[in-house]
Amino acid sequence: MQKKIRKFINYIRRPQHVILLVLLVCLAYLVVFPLFYIVKDTLLVHTSEVNRVHAEAGTITNYHWAKTFLSSDASSNFWRPLLHSLICAVLSCVIAIVTGGFFAWLVIRTDMYCKKLCSTLFMFLYIMPGWTLAIAWTNFFKNSLTGGTTGIFESVVGISTPNWFAYGLFPIVLVTGFHYAPYAYILIGGILKNMDSNLEEAAQILNVSRAGIFMKITIPLVKPAILSTILLVFASGLSVFSTAQFLGLPVNFYTLATKMYSYLNGTNPGRGYVYAIVMMVLSLTILVLNQKMLGTRKSYTTVSGKSSNISLTKLRKGRKLISILVTGFVICITILPFLSFATESLTQVKGDYSFANFTLKYWIAEDAGIGFSGVFRNPVFWKALKNTLLLAACCSLGAGTVGALAGYGIARKWGTRLSAIVNGLTFLPYLIPSIALSAIYLSMFSTRHGIIPALYGTYAMLVLIGVVKYLPMASRSGLNSMFQISATLEESATVMGIPWWKRMCRILIPIQKTSIMSGYLLPFTSCTREMELFVLLYTPNSVLLTTLLFMYNQKGYEQFANAITLLIVILVISLNALINKLTGASIDSGIGTECKKSN
Amino acid sequence: MADNSIRLINVTKKFGKSVAVDHLNLEIPANSFISLLGPSGCGKTTTLRMIAGLETPTEGEIWIGDKLVFSAKQSIDVPPNNRGIGFLFQNYALWPHMTVYKNIAFGLENMKWKKADIDKKVKELCGLLQLSAYLDRYPSELSGGQQQRVAIARTLATNPQILLMDEPLSNLDAKLRLEMRTELKRLHGTTNATFVYVTHDQMEAMALSTNVCLMNMAVKQQYAPPLKLYAEPVNMFVADFVGNPSMNFLPFDLQEQTISKDDIHLSVKSVHGEKLKKKSGKVIFGVRPENVKVSADGEIPAKVISSFPYGMETTLVIRCMGCDMRTVVFGSVDYQPGEDIRIGLCHEKACLFDEETQELLAVVETEVC
Repeated sequence: MQKKIRKFINYIRRPQHVILLVLLVCLAYLVVFPLFYIVKDTLLVHTSEVNRVHAEAGTITNYHWAKTFLSSDASSNFWRPLLHSLICAVLSCVIAIVTGGFFAWLVIRTDMYCKKLCSTLFMFLYIMPGWTLAIAWTNFFKNSLTGGTTGIFESVVGISTPNWFAYGLFPIVLVTGFHYAPYAYILIGGILKNMDSNLEEAAQILNVSRAGIFMKITIPLVKPAILSTILLVFASGLSVFSTAQFLGLPVNFYTLATKMYSYLNGTNPGRGYVYAIVMMVLSLTILVLNQKMLGTRKSYTTVSGKSSNISLTKLRKGRKLISILVTGFVICITILPFLSFATESLTQVKGDYSFANFTLKYWIAEDAGIGFSGVFRNPVFWKALKNTLLLAACCSLGAGTVGALAGYGIARKWGTRLSAIVNGLTFLPYLIPSIALSAIYLSMFSTRHGIIPALYGTYAMLVLIGVVKYLPMASRSGLNSMFQISATLEESATVMGIPWWKRMCRILIPIQKTSIMSGYLLPFTSCTREMELFVLLYTPNSVLLTTLLFMYNQKGYEQFANAITLLIVILVISLNALINKLTGASIDSGIGTECKKSN
Repeated sequence: MADNSIRLINVTKKFGKSVAVDHLNLEIPANSFISLLGPSGCGKTTTLRMIAGLETPTEGEIWIGDKLVFSAKQSIDVPPNNRGIGFLFQNYALWPHMTVYKNIAFGLENMKWKKADIDKKVKELCGLLQLSAYLDRYPSELSGGQQQRVAIARTLATNPQILLMDEPLSNLDAKLRLEMRTELKRLHGTTNATFVYVTHDQMEAMALSTNVCLMNMAVKQQYAPPLKLYAEPVNMFVADFVGNPSMNFLPFDLQEQTISKDDIHLSVKSVHGEKLKKKSGKVIFGVRPENVKVSADGEIPAKVISSFPYGMETTLVIRCMGCDMRTVVFGSVDYQPGEDIRIGLCHEKACLFDEETQELLAVVETEVC
């Protein structure tokens, strides 16, 4: 007995064990348990479904599953949205890879002009929330289908945009593809840039043609990057919600995510949960596939550390034309949307872009019509702003701290089973689509569980889900930072008897302050622009900027919606600039430096 | 003064299924300078880390003095800071965000020393290790040798009675390494601590230590004073690992007291007077290069293959009795490839190994029959 106690004390004495055990328990409750809980929810009759299922609330039923897969409306309400989701995923993938890859090649491997500008602007797409482009698209190409006024394009040019162009699959795919193109740009560009040019030169010396080098050397080397971009974009495309909601609804174009939302918000939540499970299974399959492919594929060491002088492909006569086209295109998808939010928020009568029609009343008037005061005078806006910033701060504190500790624990016990399990658990929320995760939490925390009260509608609930959702991000950066420090730096202090908290505060954290800081800051920015995670969970009391925008957009208060979109974009971009300043690194840093050199 | 001997009893460490250290028994006397020597991956660093308490053994007991610091059976595991040890890391593990002064003082601050005492101790150590000019520098502003000295100063600051060193010189260039060797030997004299030193460099181990523990594939091969290790290796692995250029191994047939190869016959006599453990059969005749004497009246003809004149001595690779051999000729001499020479093996010490088990049969003196 005494021996066992001693053994236990020896084990607990090491802080990494305590951290991992605590995390194991917490994550089991917050990530694993909900997965079971949601399954249970698909088998229950919910209060709002009593009339539909003809059974008492709380009894067990197979209604939701049967209705989803076997009923007469299964094809239009399940299989078609599923197909839409798949098509969206595939096509956005293609667009992202082609745009991002081509762009990366132009910026890094050719003598195009304006590289720095293009690269910076292109990254805007990545920083801005995905749905901003969707709103911009509506601003430009809306037709008279939805009633009311038409978009800028029709008002100015006079040609009515066809429905397929204005709404549904086409714009959704385009918008999602463009939003993820920077991913491809970063991944492929990073490899193109850091690739040891000797690899290509060796082939050149062997007299391989330029095309041969490209096909046989360059492409195979960037293949892993392309592959992981494909899987990432595919998984995101499958679960895209807000873009599909904004652009698909007017023509009744549903994806799995928007269908799920309508069920959860309607009178058949049980069926919504079934959709959530389907989405999760799909994402998990893809990411397991990703793991498998990356696992068996040896990653190439393409970075030699030698500064390699890449010989730039000369665009010759096309240099000017291509530069103009590319810069123009990048401006079209980044600056123009920005301008459209501003313009739309200023026009009094929609569709009239004469100067006389411009007004600031949607921003500052006491009464801006429809019973609201202008954004800056609207107490709801200020509340949403305050809530958003506070929530972002809480989530970043929570995720950042837990992430850093998790990184420490996992790195110190790397190779053990406990470490592997906790590592998997911290990563699991990444695999669950935001909208599905919030569906789970909605189901789980709407009632009291033992000592944990019903959290639905509270601010704590939003914080909790935010921390869980951003934990993968924070723990990745925590883990990386711990792996970068040799364990001996801590051990040398351990040998001297320096206590754990002092080792953390005086040695590990100061050495890795930038990457620990980014573990805090990344969740902060992500949280300020997050819509999908909170759209199911917010209540008037816990309204956020993004959910306010969502509400305005759904109700058709376009000036307000645009004004708030503009503010969110400004907020996100300035936060991002601030982070770059603080941490001294930008997202496209690996690529940006090259641009400076070549300009 | 506390007893600073170390005793490892049946210590085993497994990482998953692979065995890093296999039932190691080791007695390290107080105030000695011990080297753990072996090729990379032989378990020497793991052994050192287990003594420090940075790694938990799977089985066995570790004693420091008369204190049991680890026992798998009794679930005793004294934390590193209570074992009275200092640890010198291969990569120095200096804290990059602290100055030299701070690096050395940090441990003492933690022990709640008075400021004045800390100051005195740091200055004293820096004087000893010639670091006084660099107190305000950061590690990145120091050369490798200076960093190493800071690491030593930091380790010595807390006055450890046992100093564990994990390849502390391997990141230094050849000249600095020689200097630091002298430094370490001097420190061992002045500190009176027990030094345990891990290295893969046999010259370093030989030059520094009172005893060398040579390990291979997780198993202790031989634990002996350096010169005994050199002269009487217990098996061919030890014989081959120790010494540079390494020992020549020639296959011979043993018949009573004579070994033969082709038409060369050598009579062998055990130097310690014991009988050979084997009467007849295949044996390996191991002779150190310096015991292969090149001379005009040598008994065996040989041909020079290549010659490496180093100035003080010249190493030759020669073809002799159908084998390639290395020999050392002292003095500034050179030979041409293809040159015919003669070598002698008379009255020289050599080792006889069993070809099958590779174990030492006897240390012998030879004579040409």
